[in-house]
Amino acid sequence: MKPKIGIFGLSGCWGEQIVILNCEDDLLTIVGAVDIVDFLGGSSRNDEEGPLAVAFVEGSVGSARQEASLARVRERSALLVACGTCACFGGISAMDAGSTREQMASAVYGAGHPVYDVAPHRPLADFVKVDAAIPGCPMEKDEFLRAVTALLNGDLPQPAAYPVCADCKWREQDCLLVSRGIACAGPVTTAGCGARCPGFNVPCIGCRGPVDEANFGSMAEILRTSAVPQERVLGRLRMFAAPYLDKESAGSNPTAGAHV
Amino acid sequence: MSRTIVVEHLARIEGHAGITVVLGNDRVERVEFNVVEGIRLFEGLVCGRHCVDVPGIVSRICAICSHGHTITALSAIERALGMTVSAQTRTLRDLAFQGASIESHALHVFCLALPDLLGHPSVVSLAGANPAAVGMALRLKKLGNTIQEIVGGRAVHPVNYVLGGFGRLPSTDDLLLLKAALEAGLNDCAAALALLCTVAVPAFVNEPIRCAALVPKDEAFFFGDTVRLSDGFEVPVDQYLTLTNEQAVAHSHAKVSLHQGRSFMVGALARLTLHGDRIQGAARQAWNAIGLTLPSTNIVANNLAQFVELVYSVEHALEIVTTLLARGLAHEPPVPVAIRAGEGAAATEVPRGTLFHHYVLDADGCVVAADVITPTAQNFSNVEDQLRATRC
Repeated sequence: MKPKIGIFGLSGCWGEQIVILNCEDDLLTIVGAVDIVDFLGGSSRNDEEGPLAVAFVEGSVGSARQEASLARVRERSALLVACGTCACFGGISAMDAGSTREQMASAVYGAGHPVYDVAPHRPLADFVKVDAAIPGCPMEKDEFLRAVTALLNGDLPQPAAYPVCADCKWREQDCLLVSRGIACAGPVTTAGCGARCPGFNVPCIGCRGPVDEANFGSMAEILRTSAVPQERVLGRLRMFAAPYLDKESAGSNPTAGAHV
Repeated sequence: MSRTIVVEHLARIEGHAGITVVLGNDRVERVEFNVVEGIRLFEGLVCGRHCVDVPGIVSRICAICSHGHTITALSAIERALGMTVSAQTRTLRDLAFQGASIESHALHVFCLALPDLLGHPSVVSLAGANPAAVGMALRLKKLGNTIQEIVGGRAVHPVNYVLGGFGRLPSTDDLLLLKAALEAGLNDCAAALALLCTVAVPAFVNEPIRCAALVPKDEAFFFGDTVRLSDGFEVPVDQYLTLTNEQAVAHSHAKVSLHQGRSFMVGALARLTLHGDRIQGAARQAWNAIGLTLPSTNIVANNLAQFVELVYSVEHALEIVTTLLARGLAHEPPVPVAIRAGEGAAATEVPRGTLFHHYVLDADGCVVAADVITPTAQNFSNVEDQLRATRC
């Protein structure tokens, strides 16, 4: 029997579901290998109750309703995979980590707006056990396909444990940060994108989230000796992983959040 | 006796929404379109951010319109900074919009709507019954993505669009690849047309539609500086607030747009209704063959209008690529950015309709105020009106 999987979206741009649908050459092969039983974004006939071998969940948790729906997904799934930077790190919607949600809501909806179910956006792991993560904004098609292959073979997919810079060097691209003094977040960002942005002469903005054991101290040191303002780089990381940076700055790594 | 129908989760849409319909004896009494998407507050998130970072943030509003959001944000910020981009940059942005149009319309018409029209719950189920049709749809979708990848650097959340131009220009090899793919795409369009001609479009709604769309500027069907409504009003883009008049409502996280107290529709059907005379060539032939009569009183016909636009976009993209190959791309670096205080609004026609972005910048180039109005939010009230007019 083919393993039953579900694909779910919480708060986000639907990017990971679009990436799955963008696997045009492989979509029908995937469908041949797994049984997609719950995918509201793609099907109007879904099994919303039964057990799942794997749940792929994209988006951040930004309301009580979403927290409850994530808990239900977790309960029925043997494995839960966080897909995309919002699910893994909080992402863009968590940029300001909830400090002034109500002020922002008043600015956007007008003073005296109706009461909405609105909470600071958080990554999935703040609420449930996450078995594997595929970061990226959006996640890379290849990484998703590799993750599906790994899961079908009983393995858990692992994100790259090295930074974007490693990919950039492999591709023999000119270093934007050191050679050109451009605020590139490559040294502290998880690889896996093939260092796409520097290849287009634009800096990494950290959309894949902080790399495991990111060396913020060394990053700060590089920035101190260059003309690049520190807040431009770390501020960019904050665009995608504010809850993570806040946790780091409160915990073991004092340099992480100090300058953002 | 009245009866209430609640669809808690609408399937095969991007985002989270439901519908509540209250039925009376012989008519629909009340309709609520409940958009329950997690509230992200983008206009608040960008405040205080440097304008260079803004396009990469607002891109994340919507994956499928990420190229549209990015380019519209760039255009608004370029206006605020008094920048003018080159004709080549405008042409390449136009090409990107054709890619977005092909990808989005192929996804919606063939992967989301067509399964419904043929009695399938999903495109996966449709693929079991008609693999050739789904293969053709996926090839067209991929063609749109290939254009977006080559021009924008990535299909979802582009990286190559910067203030004043591009990080890296496409190579001749890229353009040659695109040309071949677009020529093959025209064949797929012909096959897709033959398929769609056999599909009956349901006509359970029969209600006049008030249309709104940008008046196309020059050759560019998706760009303009004035919005026209089908009842004669015209609104310059920098006065877009007099068109949208957004208001927060309790039953939805999306705000409601009303012009003079009445809803309006944006998107492919509205564009073709107002400016269909711009559509010629294979797209015009497809339009004639498909039996789409405009103005229409059936919003479901929007799917046919999207298909006509898809053919237009394949043809127009091929024209652009052919011209660029003949002329050669000039190696222009982006226009230099000179930071100053300013304000700028821009609008574009993205696949689902008119998209507005508006930013106020301080002297350091940081955002003081921002406003983004998506086509889906503008369509929200019209969807309720059309459902209200549905026969019980």
